Amino acid sequence: MSFFGFEERTLERGRDRRLGQNEDLAVYTWGEENHDGLGDALQEDHDDLNDETFGEVGEVGKDFDFSNPTLLDRNDYARSANTRVEDKHPQSCMIAFSSLNPISTPLTLESIWDDKSLFSMRLNSANRTPSSSLLPRGESPAISSQHRQQSGIRTVQEIEAEMRASADHSRQEALLQHRQQQYYLEQRMQQQQQKQRDEEELLLRQEEEREFQRQRLLFQQEQAQLQRLQQQQQLLQQREQHQHRRTPPPRMLPVSQSPRFMEHQQRQILILQQQQEQQQLFRLQQLQEQLRVEELERQLRSQHISSVPPDRQPSGPTLADMEALQHQQLQQQFRQRSQSPAARPGPHRPAPLENSIPYLPQNLQLQQRLLSEMAQAELLREMQEGLQVEAMRKILEAEKMEEKRRKKAAKIAHMASLFFFWISRYNDLMTQSDKDFITRIQVSQLVSQDPYADDFYAQVYGAIVRSRMGLSADDERVLKFGSSGGVALGAPTKGGNRRPNAMQRMQQQVERIVSNARKREEEKGLHSLHSLQGALGKTSGRSYKAAPRQLLQVDPNIAPSSSPTLSHAQPHAHISKVDSITKSSNVAAANAARMGRETLNIGDNASSQLNSKLLSSGDLVYMEPLTQREILVTLENMYDLVLSVEQLRRDQPHPEEGEEILEQWSKDFDSLVDQMWTLLKVMLPLATSTPHPFISLLSAAKGKKILPRVTRHFDQQRMNTLLTLLIACFSQLDVISHAALLDTLEDTPKRADVERQTQAFLSSVLQSILPIIVKGNLRLVCGLVGLLIHGQDIIAIAQSRPGLALLTLFLTRVEVIKQGEVDEIPTQDDFAQWQLMFDHLFQLLTPEFPLLFPSTRMATHLPRDQPHINIPGIDSLDQPVWQFLAALALQASSTQHQILVSSLREKVLDNVLSAKKGWVVDEEERTTKLANVDLFLHALGLDSSQITM
Amino acid sequence: MDGSSSGIQEPFDLIRLSLSERVFVKLRGDREMTGILHAYDGHMNLILSDVEETIMIVNEGEQATVSVAKRKMDMLFVRGDGVILVSPPSRT
Repeated sequence: MSFFGFEERTLERGRDRRLGQNEDLAVYTWGEENHDGLGDALQEDHDDLNDETFGEVGEVGKDFDFSNPTLLDRNDYARSANTRVEDKHPQSCMIAFSSLNPISTPLTLESIWDDKSLFSMRLNSANRTPSSSLLPRGESPAISSQHRQQSGIRTVQEIEAEMRASADHSRQEALLQHRQQQYYLEQRMQQQQQKQRDEEELLLRQEEEREFQRQRLLFQQEQAQLQRLQQQQQLLQQREQHQHRRTPPPRMLPVSQSPRFMEHQQRQILILQQQQEQQQLFRLQQLQEQLRVEELERQLRSQHISSVPPDRQPSGPTLADMEALQHQQLQQQFRQRSQSPAARPGPHRPAPLENSIPYLPQNLQLQQRLLSEMAQAELLREMQEGLQVEAMRKILEAEKMEEKRRKKAAKIAHMASLFFFWISRYNDLMTQSDKDFITRIQVSQLVSQDPYADDFYAQVYGAIVRSRMGLSADDERVLKFGSSGGVALGAPTKGGNRRPNAMQRMQQQVERIVSNARKREEEKGLHSLHSLQGALGKTSGRSYKAAPRQLLQVDPNIAPSSSPTLSHAQPHAHISKVDSITKSSNVAAANAARMGRETLNIGDNASSQLNSKLLSSGDLVYMEPLTQREILVTLENMYDLVLSVEQLRRDQPHPEEGEEILEQWSKDFDSLVDQMWTLLKVMLPLATSTPHPFISLLSAAKGKKILPRVTRHFDQQRMNTLLTLLIACFSQLDVISHAALLDTLEDTPKRADVERQTQAFLSSVLQSILPIIVKGNLRLVCGLVGLLIHGQDIIAIAQSRPGLALLTLFLTRVEVIKQGEVDEIPTQDDFAQWQLMFDHLFQLLTPEFPLLFPSTRMATHLPRDQPHINIPGIDSLDQPVWQFLAALALQASSTQHQILVSSLREKVLDNVLSAKKGWVVDEEERTTKLANVDLFLHALGLDSSQITM
Repeated sequence: MDGSSSGIQEPFDLIRLSLSERVFVKLRGDREMTGILHAYDGHMNLILSDVEETIMIVNEGEQATVSVAKRKMDMLFVRGDGVILVSPPSRT
């Protein structure tokens, strides 16, 4: 990389020299053959400025200083002796700029210069010297003496020897340097600048020489003042350096008259340029080559650098450059402002310097290199104490690392304190017992007396989901605590391991908390109920008396003893006061008891029992029919009971849980079922009221709807009794008495209500009695049909949808029995009795056959002039009637068939005609009509196709 | 039957009795409605089905007249803050 035509030198070579392989570095071999010629490659043009700085006026001398001039050496002393007068002004002004002692460590640049850190450290360390920057000159001997102590590496004698040697070669070196500079510049500079620079270099060189001479003189002078002066000098330099480090980013400023300033500025530009062009490698090489040549000069110029304690070595030359750059900038600013006469150079100098400013980039590089090499050379000199330096370096590095680490730790601690400021501010405000208290409150909201009911819909949904997934359906997602509390856990969640785990943890936690709470409750004992009494202070006895007299004596503790899962804590539980209702029904206790005994045997001889029941109106206790409100209240109670029973069934203990528990459970269950039975008022005599209380309960839609849920808990006997009562009072049902409304065509709210009730009856009440009828024997059916016929308006019943459905049900059941598909074969007497009953029924219905059809009945409401208007969906309404007639036809004799056909001929023909003539809206209606007709005709052994129009 | 035996202990019990029954509800803003009560809560929020709402509209003018608008809804949630009165429908 002989960039400038000089001999290429490797970095390694330079480093080897610096590292003190040749210990006798104090011996300088200028011009000799073994001279490595480093100095030849030196680009001296900027060193001229250095010369100017140090040589021309002694005052300016060496206080350009990038390093800490703490070392007590004579050069320093000599220089400071010269500078002490003129330095005063600028440096005291610089104090104003410095306020802090910043530490700038561009560590990122460090790596580039790692290998060469030894010499660059010198430059840097000066800037890094802490403290004392704010102190006025000479006013802090303590600090300066501190610096002296720090710099105790080299003895004064050593320095003296070096100084002497360097002084001998100073002139020679200066000349050589000048030559090299010129040569270098020729290659590098543009021709326009050449002349100016030559002049400038010449001047600079002269100044340099002058300075050397002066220094030599001063060297032998004023030994007594040496110490004090040096201190002052150091202080001032430190101040400057610290100030400069705080300056804003580099920028090109107007020309300064100070040679020292110029040098700094140039160096700054150079640095930038170098960094941009990435010429560091090349520069290093050059520096090494020049190093040996320039040793003496550097020695002279940078005595203060060498005095820097080795343990304060900085990281790299780039770092040093950067700091020097800042230093320079600040100084520049200072110069601009102060325009100190002392800072102004001689009259001959300013012009060339200013002219050269625009071309600084090239010029400055050289100067910069020179400066760097000065430091390097000084470092090499220190290699005399190579081992010591090495050790020091290690110490320094260790210290640096330590410092870094400390800084980092401090920073982290600071950040952490900021980060946790808000959090830590409220840390530990709550004690553990506070937290526990809050948790208890939260959990107490979750725990309920009846977790299953609270979570009812989720539980049912979960059960459905589980059954769909094929899992066991009896796994309730309820967390139970003993017998009286629990937490509903909702529907099971699918998949995922986290949720179940969290759920388990929560279960355990809650269980623990609840058990603790219960324990505490038990400790409180009986007082727990009144634990809050007097919590707000005692009220005076006076206020008790002053309070208005309580009119309503409400005991909140009244709860059905047999429904433990429903306590008064639930909002509606007080409605379930079965006791009081039981009391009211006890009015007819005697009657009920007697009637109950009779109805127990109803299964065997239904009609006789029922007859006796009907006839037993001798000691009947007449009652007013239930009012609407009584019905509703009773139904609410019934709902409560049903829920209790259903819950009890879910809580059914396993057989292995023990005999007593099972017994207790069945006792509770039976008790609840008994209450329901009583509440239904089925056992009241038939003639108690009209309608019968049981029928009244069925008048409400919710009464109809609850019946299946009630009856499923009743045994066969009770169901038989209930069915008997229902049939016996069938015409009292609202769905029968109001059925006529359904035949009207206008859409009134009342009709809609009846429709609703009818649907509810068909789906709920008939569903609940269906199993009994389906399983009933012929005698039972016969008895029930007899009940339906006797004393009731069979026509009205037959003209209602529920009645017709019931009749169809009976006939179908008889047909099934007749087919012999039952276990119990009916006796001949039963058949005879049934035949009697059927004939009677048929006889009753015969005149009304056409009117059984809703379509026929509706037609009567139609305007006379258009009797054949089509009512939408009328055929589906007629369908149950056709079904009934078909069932009737199956049972009927041939004579009865004749009657049926003759009665229904018109209706059949009408339908067939409509279907075949196309008097229908669509194909579906036609199909329905024909299907309806065929349903009936098939029972007779006929078919609609046989009918010819 | 006295109050306790009829299970009436608080006003809401009366409403409870009307569950799944048709009720008449008077509302703010000159509105009335009848419907089958399915659910209610402590705020008197109601869920009704088969609702017929009657809105009285007062026509401002020289002679203030009241016109009635009606509409029907299958299912309705009534916010409780508008409810003035809930009663069983008058039985004729």
